[in-house]
Amino acid sequence: MANPMHRSRLLAALLAIGLTLASVAAAAEAEVAPPAVSKECGDAGVTDRPLPNSAAALQQRKRIKILAIGASSTAVLGPGRNGSPLLERILEKTIKGLDVEIINRGFSGELAEAAGERIRIEVALNQPDIVLWQVGTNDAFAQVPVDEFEASVSSTVRWLKEHNVDLILVGLQYAKSLAKDAHYQAIRMSLRRVAVAENVLRIGRYESMEVLARTMSSGTGQPEVEDFGLTEAGYNCMAQYIARTITVGIFAKPPKTGPSAEPGK
Amino acid sequence: MPREANAVDFWRGFALVSIFVNHIPGIYYERFTHRNLSFSDSAELFVFLAGWSLGLLVYGNGLHKGRATPLTFRLGGRSLQIYTAHIFISGLALSMLAGAAYLTDTPPILDWHNAAAFFQDPARTQLGIALLTHQLGYFDILPLYVVLMLIAPAFVIIDRFAPALLLPLSLGLYLTALIVHFTAPTWPVEGEWFFNPFTWQAIFVLGFVLSHDRGLGHFVRCNITRIRQISLPLVVLAAIVAWFGLYPDPTRFPEPKMLFLHGKSFLTPVRLLQFLALAAVFSAVYPVIARAVPWITGPLSMLGRNSLQVFCVGSLLSLSGQIIRFLYSGSLAVDTIVVIVGIGLLCLTAWLAEWRQRLGSHG
Repeated sequence: MANPMHRSRLLAALLAIGLTLASVAAAAEAEVAPPAVSKECGDAGVTDRPLPNSAAALQQRKRIKILAIGASSTAVLGPGRNGSPLLERILEKTIKGLDVEIINRGFSGELAEAAGERIRIEVALNQPDIVLWQVGTNDAFAQVPVDEFEASVSSTVRWLKEHNVDLILVGLQYAKSLAKDAHYQAIRMSLRRVAVAENVLRIGRYESMEVLARTMSSGTGQPEVEDFGLTEAGYNCMAQYIARTITVGIFAKPPKTGPSAEPGK
Repeated sequence: MPREANAVDFWRGFALVSIFVNHIPGIYYERFTHRNLSFSDSAELFVFLAGWSLGLLVYGNGLHKGRATPLTFRLGGRSLQIYTAHIFISGLALSMLAGAAYLTDTPPILDWHNAAAFFQDPARTQLGIALLTHQLGYFDILPLYVVLMLIAPAFVIIDRFAPALLLPLSLGLYLTALIVHFTAPTWPVEGEWFFNPFTWQAIFVLGFVLSHDRGLGHFVRCNITRIRQISLPLVVLAAIVAWFGLYPDPTRFPEPKMLFLHGKSFLTPVRLLQFLALAAVFSAVYPVIARAVPWITGPLSMLGRNSLQVFCVGSLLSLSGQIIRFLYSGSLAVDTIVVIVGIGLLCLTAWLAEWRQRLGSHG
């Protein structure tokens, strides 16, 4: 039988841990307002959803591990400065005391099927809390049949859910010349279907960049499709959107959807 | 005169054609390459045969008996040649991507194959390309080859003075890299080399060691029938697992997981062992192929004899194939034309290289 003194010490210790966790969570909730997204970035059609595994990681160790995988790491992490990409900088600025570890495994040219295999290996090796998966553009360029693409993505999404890893899908890129490309649009719609069916976050990169292109075009008078600066501006937008999505997902208290009036603050 | 068709050149040519096809992701003919029935693919074959060819070069020309300095210069020169070729084709690949993006008004093409960093941050990325710390997607095997040829003199010197040490040292480095999980970093985009040189050196050294008839090479030659009997069921089992996707969930393996995973970047043991079993089994097949279809062994051996030129042209043709498939859709007709024209151009490259050599020897 347990000694009553030990029991009371145990209870006191458990209470202290509980109170600490609760206060950390409360303090965090009170402090954190999701970072805004520049108005120019348009609406990426993100539906705020909780990221329960990342929230638990934050509470337990004040640290989240993000695995970035897919075609272009710059596209999801944002441009780097002093060794840390924009996404990391926004997140660490927004959530006080948060340590963000980004594991970048963006090998370009890879199709969804191969990336899915690599995601499984990287999850086994690194145990990330969130996977940022930029997917679709390569498959569309490589003319992968839509049903094969959908099956590959769905299989990986389900595997990640089974293994308690949060997932944010980052969709296809935008270019005016691709608006009439039937296969490109079919892959885009397919990714959207998977996100809805599997109830996972998808950031509509295409939609966001389309708005951005119009904004840039109206500002400069240049034909948007010739403006290669769009790509770089798109990187900034994606990093902002992802940072906002992660923050909202972790604290599960969505203030509002869509872009704000204040750029990037 | 170019040397006669032989097994090493034939399998090297086979690897080059497979790499050309596999580097056009999504192409119809990708499903017919051997990686669909195997854990390993043409990359293992290519690097293993590069090590084997080093053995033939060193022992065939008696370089191992001479002084270390000329050997180092000769292999260092080869490394410089591969480096120059890599920088050249990387530059051309970037130009091809830029041209395709510009002519089709499709900026997302600039993001293909890790090229985005070059167009967004050209100063640092250009430096990264020169330092081999920035590699374009599908243009990442030559940097490994450069490093392997740079350290090849050390392999040869160890093999000369302490032959029993070479393989244990190589496998020790291999296992340490797997267990401790270290590799070469990339820069300016933070990440890792696609082909970890610390692990991939093991297959290169194995090729080198097995190429000559002493030590492990002697043992394998004496026991090749028994080795093939053991290897065949492994090859069949791997084919079944690969075809039906039966490889276990990687999260279920114990630590150190890397010893059990099926991963290309680190050349995990399962890939290495399956490759060695495959090589043991298929080393018996070449004489049969040479008798049954000599019209295949000739051209493939010619490709293998001129592997660097063919590899470089093949890399650019693979990228062209990807751009063509994007522009004209990936129908079976387009894919067939891409593959036939591509292999034809690879053969033309090899033929031109040998024609030039013949001119040189006559002049």
